[in-house]
Amino acid sequence: MAETQQKEMMCAPRAQLEWGFGGRRKIRDGALLLALFIGGIGAGQFVVSTWLRYPGYELSAVVGLLFIAVGKSAAHLAYLGRPARFLRLFLRPKTSWISRGLIAMIFLVVFGVAYLAPYLAPMVGMSWTAWSMTDVLGRSFLGIATIAAFIVMIYDGFVLNSCRSISSWHTMLLPVMFFIYSIAGGVAMITLIKAFGAGGLSTDEIVTLDSFLLSAMFAMVVFYIINLYSSDLTGRESLRRLMMSRTAIFFIGLALVAGLLVPLLLTVLHQAEDLGTIATLTLAVSAILELAGDLSVRHSILKAGLHAPVI
Amino acid sequence: MVIDLKRCTGCFGCVVACKAEHHTPPKVFWAKVLRNESGKYPNSSRQPLPIICMHCKEPECEKVCPTGATKKREDGVVIVDHNKCVGCRYCVVACPYGARYFVQKWSDYFTGKDEPSSKYAEYSRKKWLEESDRGVVTKCTFCVERVEKGLKPACVLCCPAEARTFGDLDDLSSEVSKLIKKRHGFRLKEELGTDPCVYYLPAR
Repeated sequence: MAETQQKEMMCAPRAQLEWGFGGRRKIRDGALLLALFIGGIGAGQFVVSTWLRYPGYELSAVVGLLFIAVGKSAAHLAYLGRPARFLRLFLRPKTSWISRGLIAMIFLVVFGVAYLAPYLAPMVGMSWTAWSMTDVLGRSFLGIATIAAFIVMIYDGFVLNSCRSISSWHTMLLPVMFFIYSIAGGVAMITLIKAFGAGGLSTDEIVTLDSFLLSAMFAMVVFYIINLYSSDLTGRESLRRLMMSRTAIFFIGLALVAGLLVPLLLTVLHQAEDLGTIATLTLAVSAILELAGDLSVRHSILKAGLHAPVI
Repeated sequence: MVIDLKRCTGCFGCVVACKAEHHTPPKVFWAKVLRNESGKYPNSSRQPLPIICMHCKEPECEKVCPTGATKKREDGVVIVDHNKCVGCRYCVVACPYGARYFVQKWSDYFTGKDEPSSKYAEYSRKKWLEESDRGVVTKCTFCVERVEKGLKPACVLCCPAEARTFGDLDDLSSEVSKLIKKRHGFRLKEELGTDPCVYYLPAR
């Protein structure tokens, strides 16, 4: 800690210690990372399942909404210094991306539940006649919830992008990257639900989706690295941290190798050969690795955030 | 405010004065002095660089604050309303100058615990909690409570080298405006467009 303080008193790139694990409050600051991760995969799961409408998609959409309503909310509350005042977070959508994202989160949950009400009502012993999931009203609710889900997937990228003195965050690549990772996280969750026998996409559909998304994720990571390399000194120092410091274990080991390359290889294997009975198992393993990669990429980006020297 | 880098000796008097005035807890420096090292041995030099909140005219911290806790007063001072802050720390991350600090709880300088270990520490905690709160973000206030009484901020008053000058930047006949014009005052990170209100006079 003394060394960190000494570095803070130098005119040199200064690490942000507020967001992510290992910050000033060690573990508790990691709650924010979990909130971003859970929010991303929850919104992605909702969008993918309601878009593809495979048999039994409603369960996956409900799980996605639960992730947002319970997981993301709880993680945000755990992170805040004064959780009792959380309602104030919604007050400044005009200028603050945090307000925008959290308002979108409320819209997603409210209109998502409204859309799924005909599916949920019989579960709690109600007979539902007000609207169906296919009529105009039901579809309108889905439309609003989907727009809100898109905002939930990208807003964290904009939150980071708005910090102009942190070169590795001040890039439009982050909202796009977080969007692709969120969609991929949603597909991974659907794959895991399928592995538990609760219905889902067919193996071929998952493999096709995965190969497209993993390629896009790989391309985004490469663009991000190139962007850091071609930015200022602070950006290059962030890149050095991603590639050669302790953060490299997460970025190269978990995000790149385990979270991208291994699932890509498994996808190629699926396309090349019929894996028969072990197909679901390998897809589930691939999904878990992708989720670990998603969490690691967000962690690495937060940890690589360096403020440019003041002079 | 204008800070003359030619006069600043890096004595940390401003840091201590600020601590004595506001009773900030350990690891919280509303006023701090960075070491700016340049060149290579044997032609290297070290220049102290005092840093406080720049009280920007276009503050990044105010824009990103989701609660409206950070606001700019009519006199230009940027303040944090501790009754509105939720401790999300977006402002701490967004501030390019590292002038903001999140304080989870007050702690004693010597024991590091929440309980004061001496009568002075007890007084210090009382004063801190009067001015701030737990779980919120804090920052330099330009000593508004002193300025409103016609006094100078603590760091300006206590600087033994008289490196700091406080005044009205909008008044072209004020001492600060004259110093900036005469000595070619510059600001930190002007390229970000935050329009900081703290000027520096070059060391050479």
